[in-house]
Amino acid sequence: MSEFWEVLQEHLPEFSSGLWVTIRLVVASFLIAMTVGTLVAAMRIAPLRWLNWLGGIYVEAFRNVPLLVLLIIAFSGLPRAGVPIDQWQAGIACLGLYTAAYIAEALRSGVFAVGKGQIEAALSLGLTYPRTMRKIILPQAARTVIPALGSLVLAMIKNSAIVGGSIVALSDLLNQAREVNSDTGQYNEVFFWAAVGFLLLTLTVTLLIRYLERRFEIRR
Amino acid sequence: MEYLVTPDNWEWLITGKNFKFLLEGFLINLEIAAIGIVFSLIFGLLLALMRISRLRPLSIAVGLWVDLWRNIPLILMILYIGLAVPSSWRETWADNIPGWFPEALQDELVLGALLALILYNSAVLCEIMRSGILSLDRGQREAAASLGLTYRQQMRFVILPQGLRRMVPATVSQVITLNKDTTLVTILGINEVISHANSITGSGFFGAVSAPPLQVYLMVGVLFFVVNFALSRLSRRLEIRERKRTGTTLERVKGLEDQVAAEADVVR
Repeated sequence: MSEFWEVLQEHLPEFSSGLWVTIRLVVASFLIAMTVGTLVAAMRIAPLRWLNWLGGIYVEAFRNVPLLVLLIIAFSGLPRAGVPIDQWQAGIACLGLYTAAYIAEALRSGVFAVGKGQIEAALSLGLTYPRTMRKIILPQAARTVIPALGSLVLAMIKNSAIVGGSIVALSDLLNQAREVNSDTGQYNEVFFWAAVGFLLLTLTVTLLIRYLERRFEIRR
Repeated sequence: MEYLVTPDNWEWLITGKNFKFLLEGFLINLEIAAIGIVFSLIFGLLLALMRISRLRPLSIAVGLWVDLWRNIPLILMILYIGLAVPSSWRETWADNIPGWFPEALQDELVLGALLALILYNSAVLCEIMRSGILSLDRGQREAAASLGLTYRQQMRFVILPQGLRRMVPATVSQVITLNKDTTLVTILGINEVISHANSITGSGFFGAVSAPPLQVYLMVGVLFFVVNFALSRLSRRLEIRERKRTGTTLERVKGLEDQVAAEADVVR
């Protein structure tokens, strides 16, 4: 048992820097994913046929191809095509664009779930369009979207480890654990602490989602 | 853009056996996924039965086990189990595997990868099955009990046939995830589509034409796209049919992107 603590004490700098890289990777990718995801969702619900189609192609392309393959395409394929890309850019872009496809789907279904009648009712009561959105549609959409977005953030935290394990080799928590393991060979202890690191992140996000869900709950 | 479409950079595809070699690699991924899903369904069902059992400690223990697996990155588990599987197990695997088994899967490294994939997916499928069973009306169970069926008979003849049917669409979308996840086993140095693609990019491999990584891996992406796109259409069809039939929705397993997408697929 004491070996577990020894490994943690000795290699705390590696673990904490890895955790910090993972957090930054997830946060940056989430911002990209939200931006691109919102755009794609808007494209998919736009009244223009070809925009719907374009959004649909984006979603299907990114959700049916493994993240690992995207990372290799970006990091070892693009530079030869004359597009310089570094570790961080490749990691953030791939994780962000991959998750954006799912975020677009979640947003689209959230807004659709509210229903047209609600907008019509609110407008006919004399509410302005922005007010209708803010007071009627978005609070209701948030209720269906928040659990889905939370679920995607959890998936993203777990997928971020693929960035460290792939050819991109960003020194995230997984990659640091691999390095410490190749130094010490104590794989039980090393991967235990790496798992604890990831669990800390997923647990924090789970609690956050629960809090948000309760805030938007219907109170009767 | 010119680099992407210039015919010189695609020549590898029709030269020698490059494409066939890539397909062979992809087939190994599909085989791993197929074996993985079969065993995950079996263990997932066992876990689900324990999870809904009336023995509180058992149910809580299985719940913790499942949550643990769902919250840790799969690639970390593949790495760890790949290292931690005792070498005697690996030898037993390599020695006793039947000869008709695909050759690539007879490698001793495959055992760890399969174990990790099965442990992870059985935990996910346990949750999918549990929500299928919980979505049934209480009355079903009560009616079965009042007819004098024992717990086993209730499960066998009333609850499971209906509950498991409802989980089919969610399971198909989990197969998409599993298909994608099979690429992760490359981290253990197993022969599959990523390593085959790597060999091709090395030197053009067959025919020694240039095989740029961008084009080769785009092709790998296309292979995955074809299979997974077909699966996602299938899952969507099943989901719509099932909802029309039962009028209920299943609770999705949290933290899985393809489960979120499957939910959104149905909304128009």
